[in-house]
Amino acid sequence: MRLRFVSPFAVLAWTFFPLVFAALGLFVLNRPGVTSTQLAYGVLGGGLIGYWGVTYLDAGNGIQDERWNGTLEQIFAVPTPLWAIILGKVCGGLLWGMLSFLPTLALAFFGFHAFLPHIDALPFAVSFAALTISFFAVAFMLTPLFALWRWAFSMLNGFELGAYVLCGFMFPVTLLPQWAQAVAGLLPPTWATRAVYASTTTEGPHDYVVWWAATIGLSVVYLVGASFLYELVQRKARVSGELALA
Amino acid sequence: MSSQAAAAIQVTALGKKFVTKRGTFRRTRVENVALAGVDLAIQPGELFGLLGPNGAGKTTATKILTTLLLPDTGSARVLGLDVVKETDAVRRRIGFVFGGERGLYWRLSGLDNLRYFADLYRIPPDVSRRRIANLLERLDLSERQHDKVELYSRGMKQRLHLARGLLNDPEVLFLDEPTIGLDPVGARELRVMVRELADAGKTIFLTTHYMFEADAICDRIAVIKKGAIVAEGTPSSIKRVVEHEGVVEFEVMGMTPERLAGLRDLPGVSSVVVADHELAQLVTLHCAHPADVMTQLGVILVGADLKKVSSREPTLEDAYVHLIGEST
Repeated sequence: MRLRFVSPFAVLAWTFFPLVFAALGLFVLNRPGVTSTQLAYGVLGGGLIGYWGVTYLDAGNGIQDERWNGTLEQIFAVPTPLWAIILGKVCGGLLWGMLSFLPTLALAFFGFHAFLPHIDALPFAVSFAALTISFFAVAFMLTPLFALWRWAFSMLNGFELGAYVLCGFMFPVTLLPQWAQAVAGLLPPTWATRAVYASTTTEGPHDYVVWWAATIGLSVVYLVGASFLYELVQRKARVSGELALA
Repeated sequence: MSSQAAAAIQVTALGKKFVTKRGTFRRTRVENVALAGVDLAIQPGELFGLLGPNGAGKTTATKILTTLLLPDTGSARVLGLDVVKETDAVRRRIGFVFGGERGLYWRLSGLDNLRYFADLYRIPPDVSRRRIANLLERLDLSERQHDKVELYSRGMKQRLHLARGLLNDPEVLFLDEPTIGLDPVGARELRVMVRELADAGKTIFLTTHYMFEADAICDRIAVIKKGAIVAEGTPSSIKRVVEHEGVVEFEVMGMTPERLAGLRDLPGVSSVVVADHELAQLVTLHCAHPADVMTQLGVILVGADLKKVSSREPTLEDAYVHLIGEST
């Protein structure tokens, strides 16, 4: 966490970047005549994008930084397993990412006089917890790939942007074509995001149990996949010697 | 079997090759052999030096022994533990330090670096507090412990590396070119510390390409060339490789390929090494009969500006050059 405090990029990641998305969303959606659901996307969208972006990329960036610092080999060869080190990084990313809601909600309230028209506290809290679990599952599974391949950063960076659209952070997934909705359905945050937005509006449907079950079920699948992936990554890294820069 | 059980490090027929791909559209597979059947046995408490030129396989051997790489063939045991199958147990009992400035968190203080790694080594907090304080004191870093590492000199960074390598009080310490890039004073201080650690009973596996370093502190050394061990023994026994030879050194201005060939053709000359020294060339010539060679120099180098001709006993470096090959 201390490294994040001293990294200008890490600070920008939860302040400036989400603010840009939030401002854009609010500018488009905070107009007379919009529905309460649409307004909710404007108020929460920037924060969700920041939360996702920081959580997902922070641990991966951390691995990339370790490689540049020359510390990736050092942390790889300690008795603490790689998964435990990445677990710490991802959990740190979650806490750091949640901060994104501070500037974005402040912008909505003070800048656009926009706030959530309605909120069901319990479903919102459970949905947000499910969302956090889903972010954790995806980030935890994909982060070790940064350790294995130097070029993973570029590829996985693209996934961060794709998730903005596919997971429905700024607009409903139902607006996407069928094939894209099918892909989105495989991502655990899609279902949790849907539940989060549903809890902020009186408009139905409100199939919370189905959405929470889909989120948790898919997250478990991702975590099971992660257990195999970590084994594979550690073995391949020891074969190829890819942990060092030189 | 008994020597194998007693050895702190036992390496048998260790082999490793790296596969890379060349080309953009037509990808071709290229295999680079880093280790080609290395055998080593290092006793507990020994300070063992692995010498070799860049790319000889020193770092690959170190990385296999520190569990960072898997060998393709052969086996390696550290403290009786298989580095492939008993990885976690090995990691708990070894320390390692790689040369150079990288490998530290520059934006954190020296103290925070050590605290973080102490956590990763799962050292109980009360033990780590005491040990970190002792290491900082011993390595003369106490006064700057709260400063960010980016403000440290290179020598301080290397001492911090050493402190990190000693955090878990390892029985075996691997040092991969630890004095690289250090100034002479810093390098000497580090060598003294390394010798003290060996005298305190730690087994030390040191790689270097500085002959005087190995000569000064190692109990035993091995010379590695293209992934294979070409000589092994005490520094004095390695020097015996060239004991029948003497060394003639001189400075000359105007060395030509013809004159160099003339030197090589002299009877009893085994190698000629030429190094640029300001405007002149410093020539080191290994030969069986230095006195005879010195009398011939005036003939071969007629017309050249010859000065500072001297003859001396061979050093470990001369033995190393003999083993590795000429570098003219």
